Amino acid sequence: MKYPRLLSCWVGILSTPFFALTGLAQEPLSNAQATLPTGGQVAAHINSRDEGEAVSRKLSIVMRDKRGKTRKRETMSYRKYYAGEKRTVIFYLAPKNIRDTAFLTYDYNTPEREDDQWLYLPALRKVRRISAADRGDYFLGTDMTYEDIKLETRVSTADFNFKTVGNCDVDGHPGLHIEGTPKTQAIARELGYSKSLSCVDRQIWMVRQSQFWDIKGALLKTVTIANIDQIQGIWTQQNINVENHKTGHSTSLSFAEVDYQSPVPDTMFTTNAIKRGL
Amino acid sequence: MFASFLPTLEKDTRSDAFMPLDHPALVLNKKARETFGLGDPMVIAIINRGPQGVFNPHTLQLVDWLTQQLENIDNIDPEGITSLATENNIIGSEEGMEVEAFFPTLPQTAADAAAVRSAAMAFPLYVGTLVAEDGSGTLIIAEQLNANRAQATYEALMTLAGSAELTADESIHIAGEGALTGYFGAYIDADASRIMPLSALLIIALCYLAFGTLRGTLIPSFVVLATASSAIGLMAALDVSFFIITNALPVVLIGIAVADSIHILTEYYETSAKHPAYTSRELAVTTMSRIWRPITLTSLTTMAGFFGLSIATIMPPMKYFGLFAMFGVGVAWLYSMFIVPALLSRLKPQLSRAYRRQPAPSDASRQTPCATANGEARDNFAKAVCWLGAVTLRRPRWFLLAGLLTIAAGIHGGLKIEMDESLIKAFQRDEAIVIASEAINQAFDGTNFLDVMVTSENPEDLFKPQNLRKIEALQAHMALHPLVKGSTSVVDYLKQMNRAMHADAPESYRLPDSVELSAQYFLIYSISADPGDFDAIIDYDYRLANVRINLEQENYKTIAAVIEYLDDYLQQSFNGPQINAQPTGRANINYQWMQRLGDGHLLGLAVTLGLVFLMATLSFRSSTAGLFCLVPIITTICAVYAYMGYTGMPLSVSSSMFAAIAIGLGVDFSIHTVERLQILIGCDDEVSDDTLMALFPSTGRALLFNFLTLASGFGILVLSKVVILQEFGTCVALSITMSFLASMILLPAMAKVFRPRFLGYPPRGYTPSVL
Repeated sequence: MKYPRLLSCWVGILSTPFFALTGLAQEPLSNAQATLPTGGQVAAHINSRDEGEAVSRKLSIVMRDKRGKTRKRETMSYRKYYAGEKRTVIFYLAPKNIRDTAFLTYDYNTPEREDDQWLYLPALRKVRRISAADRGDYFLGTDMTYEDIKLETRVSTADFNFKTVGNCDVDGHPGLHIEGTPKTQAIARELGYSKSLSCVDRQIWMVRQSQFWDIKGALLKTVTIANIDQIQGIWTQQNINVENHKTGHSTSLSFAEVDYQSPVPDTMFTTNAIKRGL
Repeated sequence: MFASFLPTLEKDTRSDAFMPLDHPALVLNKKARETFGLGDPMVIAIINRGPQGVFNPHTLQLVDWLTQQLENIDNIDPEGITSLATENNIIGSEEGMEVEAFFPTLPQTAADAAAVRSAAMAFPLYVGTLVAEDGSGTLIIAEQLNANRAQATYEALMTLAGSAELTADESIHIAGEGALTGYFGAYIDADASRIMPLSALLIIALCYLAFGTLRGTLIPSFVVLATASSAIGLMAALDVSFFIITNALPVVLIGIAVADSIHILTEYYETSAKHPAYTSRELAVTTMSRIWRPITLTSLTTMAGFFGLSIATIMPPMKYFGLFAMFGVGVAWLYSMFIVPALLSRLKPQLSRAYRRQPAPSDASRQTPCATANGEARDNFAKAVCWLGAVTLRRPRWFLLAGLLTIAAGIHGGLKIEMDESLIKAFQRDEAIVIASEAINQAFDGTNFLDVMVTSENPEDLFKPQNLRKIEALQAHMALHPLVKGSTSVVDYLKQMNRAMHADAPESYRLPDSVELSAQYFLIYSISADPGDFDAIIDYDYRLANVRINLEQENYKTIAAVIEYLDDYLQQSFNGPQINAQPTGRANINYQWMQRLGDGHLLGLAVTLGLVFLMATLSFRSSTAGLFCLVPIITTICAVYAYMGYTGMPLSVSSSMFAAIAIGLGVDFSIHTVERLQILIGCDDEVSDDTLMALFPSTGRALLFNFLTLASGFGILVLSKVVILQEFGTCVALSITMSFLASMILLPAMAKVFRPRFLGYPPRGYTPSVL
């Protein structure tokens, strides 16, 4: 009885046009691939999503080393898009020893121009300018790079070629698997990634899970995004968990009191403001 | 059967093995390793003798290349590599602090390289530790994931170094604790496999010389093989590792197995010479009826001695040594008592040239067996022993005095013995690893580290200025010790950051003066670099810190001096409820167990001697007999102590084993002698010198061969490349020689002078004094 069923199964596969063309055995899914949006299309969907012109939110960061010891940071952060640039300010609320420390960043869209960063150190009562970090450097001891932070929920079509490789599912949310490959070896080295694979929710065009491989091709990080809700009409991620497989280190980011509507004054993004504090 | 487990035997040359797993020093070390990711590092030095030192594009590119290649080497922790290519420079800029790689892009020009030089030289923490003060060298320090795999890792590094393209001025050296232990195992193995066959051949040749027959040669070899392989096979079967000192186990077992066989064969050939008409069976039975008692007695006392060793020590390798040696002696006894006679009863009766026309021992006294006129009856070996006997019995008191003097010299010399142990000194001076260590120690602060784990009360307490100042003072105090070459800790980084934040002003190279500032410095560092850079010096919640002290030498004397100096300071000026510190790391482990080795040595000796005394007393049913048996052993040990004390040989793992071996092998000489004296004296109504002389051609000759085989078999170790094996060989050969001489000289002399009743002498008063 088993044999004929197996045979009919093979006949079914052989008769698919894809197999006939490539000579490769693929799961039946590849049949449907032709109808899936391309990687480029998915990336465009992601990047055209409304992120709000300005936002204020509480961000708590929990970093955990491989021995399970943790560092907790409570911050208040503001972000605003300007034409051609993005300004962010982060005020530390806790722990006590770094309270009132503040970090101000201007991210410019033009790659030629280096980002500007300032830090206010309350212990010295001085604002210090900080030289721009490399895009692939880790941000403030977390497992996210400066580039990851800058992109927030977006993806960089300038650096990566995206390809749709199939369907996926995260916690019952159907999505598309998008594989990103750095456009050049130099970009790969700069960012520290040789490949990314993300599951993009095809209803709201947000990444729900990503994996990154290092330049040697070893699995480096898994990023899981949870609690995506609509806040003031904007789809908002409230938890990001990053696990670094190489170091055993992990980072959890939780956003609270997310507010896209209260005005964020431009004066907030000045060195005087970070010195003055909240 | 047990031998079939031999391939599963695991080597364990680590010094951790010498301590019980729950010893506080090991527990602390494990914690330090886990917290700071520190193991036994491999240290790779790149030296350039050219005028620019390592600061030229080619050498810096080499450093970068090696650093990258290291990440791909199995067992190297990719996160645990420190070099100019991985480390960041902390410098002040106009408006703040910058943290950037020493060379973010590979230096291409002499100017690039010069910039790296000035950056590295301006970072006090790295001068001497990462780059040589004169710029002639730089280090790559690579932590291992598993210290037990040091040997393979070291070999992989050597291959990597060999594949590097070097200019005429450049050289690569590999040393460090990891390389040292890694190479040590291989070095000892290679040497042992060169020396051991030689030693086996020599023993076989001497057996042939003793009996001149094939069976006289093969039977001892067979018993030796069976004994050594079953004891070591049992170790493998029970998953007991092969420790460094386990190298001495086959030595002891070979010695004991050879001794048993030689005594049986001596008796066998004596009997066959006396009773040419005996059948194979009669010959075997007669032999065994005479020899079972001394063989059993020696086996029991030796087993008691090794049992004593195993209960007196808390070091697992010593414990196992005692237990498996005891087992091996038991196996040798079983083979000698059952297999050897079974073999002999199957073989045709045979005569040995050495024992032709020999009169029965009971006739000896009446036939003046050692008379020179009767010389043709004996071979030269017997003559030599007889001569020794004659000289002894002529001046017994002189020889006793000499024995006493030896003991006095032993006590005097023994007090001079210093404990020391050095892995590096185990190698010949022209070995790559010795040259590497010397080159590195010359140019840098050394590759030998003593780690000090600082523990504060709560998370972030290490940011408190008072705690940081305590660590700073500790480092300053340690720097005063002549054997300390420097130290590094979180304090050095904070000073560097403070200076950078103050526009690199030299006077700002000091600690931040508030908790907040220290915390904020770490935050600012994390903005521009990986905060994981501090993993090896401070833990994640800023409660524990590691102070790494660089030592000039890795030997016990150095680390003991520094640790004791450190401990004094910690007790008096450092430790308190807020903060405390403890030494840890490899250096501390070595210190802890070596200290036990010294303390345990005398205790082990006392317990072992006590048990041997007890067993000999029970065997001969006389405590005087027990004392008699101890005299040659004590004299032997004293002679070796005297030798060590006067030649400056330190008490180390290898040389400390001589005492166990001296007792194990030496007691056999005593017991055979005492047992034979008892028979000779007991059989004779009128005890004269002739009665005692009968000891020499039979038992004496057997003991002579026993001594010759062992002394030369182990004396050959002086040809070893491994210095500690040379020392070990010297000590063992000396022990055996002394045991033989003491048994042959002191025991008959004591018998003659003291006329103890247990030997069969009639009570005093009945017999006129011989003297």
